[in-house]
Amino acid sequence: MKRVIVVGGGIAGTIVANRIARTIPEELEKGEAEVVVLDKSDKHVYQPGQLLVPFNVQDPVELVRNERDILDHRVRFLHGQKGEVTKIDPANHTVVTADGVSHTYDYLIIATGSHLRWEEVPGYKDAVYSPWDFDSALKLREALDQFSGGTVVINVAKLPHKCPVAPMEATLMLDDTLRKKGLRDKTEIVYTYPINGIFGIKTTNDVMIKIFQERGIKVISPFNVTNVDPKNKVMESQEGEKVKFDLAIGVPPHVGAKVIGDSGIGDKRNWVPTDKFTLRMKDHSNVFVIGDTTDIPISKAGSTADFESYIIANNVANEIRGTGLKKTYDGSVFCYIATGVDSATYIRFNYANPPVPPPPSYVHWWGKLMYNKLYWTVTAKAIV
Amino acid sequence: MIKMSLKIYKKLDLTGQSCAGPLGELSGVLEEISPGEAVEAVLGDEATKKDVVAWATKKGYKVVQERRDGNNYVVVLTK
Repeated sequence: MKRVIVVGGGIAGTIVANRIARTIPEELEKGEAEVVVLDKSDKHVYQPGQLLVPFNVQDPVELVRNERDILDHRVRFLHGQKGEVTKIDPANHTVVTADGVSHTYDYLIIATGSHLRWEEVPGYKDAVYSPWDFDSALKLREALDQFSGGTVVINVAKLPHKCPVAPMEATLMLDDTLRKKGLRDKTEIVYTYPINGIFGIKTTNDVMIKIFQERGIKVISPFNVTNVDPKNKVMESQEGEKVKFDLAIGVPPHVGAKVIGDSGIGDKRNWVPTDKFTLRMKDHSNVFVIGDTTDIPISKAGSTADFESYIIANNVANEIRGTGLKKTYDGSVFCYIATGVDSATYIRFNYANPPVPPPPSYVHWWGKLMYNKLYWTVTAKAIV
Repeated sequence: MIKMSLKIYKKLDLTGQSCAGPLGELSGVLEEISPGEAVEAVLGDEATKKDVVAWATKKGYKVVQERRDGNNYVVVLTK
């Protein structure tokens, strides 16, 4: 029997486990193969939805479900100490869980994700609200409800981070929300970003920065934050800028999972070295890496994991069946970009073709909301 | 030639599109390197190569090697 172990039950791990189950149903039912998902938590959080919570577009209760309810019934799921992976050992084809059990595998898929390292920037956690953190998203909703004007700074502490377009979305949704409340003329919005411009892809940056200019949003970039003074509400940068604010919304520094570092299989930020086309861990051909976990220069986003899941599921199935067929990842990414609380655009691209966002419209906003709502019943379950 | 004492910490293939862009990807990695380490970046066109060299120089990084590799441009950077 071939055993496939998926470490991590977030968006990437769940989609890929379900897609494998749907790709090799006969092998699973005959007991010729097994798919096991390991995660400490038995809850599944749809993190992309957190961005909409502060703007009262998304009910946070709808963002959390039981992982078991999302996984295909043919997928085994272990959680708690039985699912908390404490060591990944590719050389010996095993993973060890917190209950001391060593699990051997024929194929391993690492989906341990990206995580916030607030403490890298002194003062950040005390002074900055972040939709990238569930609890902080709720607090930001309260803060925005009480906000009556002043300076709002939006900051990206470090690249890369998950949902790369989301800082632009947060800025434009904030602008729109304040206009609708009659507070925009009492507010200065300042967007700060580690490299020139507001986004890393030139074709998208050129379109989006015009929207920022039309909305009167001030941009300070490059701006690499070094520290935040929570008492005096001042954010400082390596470049020598000091921005005083009344409200700060930010993206804390991101790193890969601790277990990657503990296992000695990642780089200095715990990203796992991965081939950008095969999605296999470098030097370990029976280990695949998916989603935010990789060190690939590509977007850390749910849609990226979804696109990658087709490649990994098919290649695992091909190897189990011995077909010799191989699929490769072309760098596909799709992201809606909210440009307000009733309009959006999008980017769709791959390694070879840069994206140019179409004009913002209500249709794309509707598409963004539908995409989020369909996550539970379509995307997560790998229906398409 | 790269000084023999420099160890390539990471090779970054930046020929494709990525949300952080070449400078964003490099900024995150270069901050991590220790003395004696370098980052090798593969870039898909000359304009991007010039942008990377200008940005790295302004940030205080050293460009220890520039070379062509087929249609691509390779730049090795260190602190």
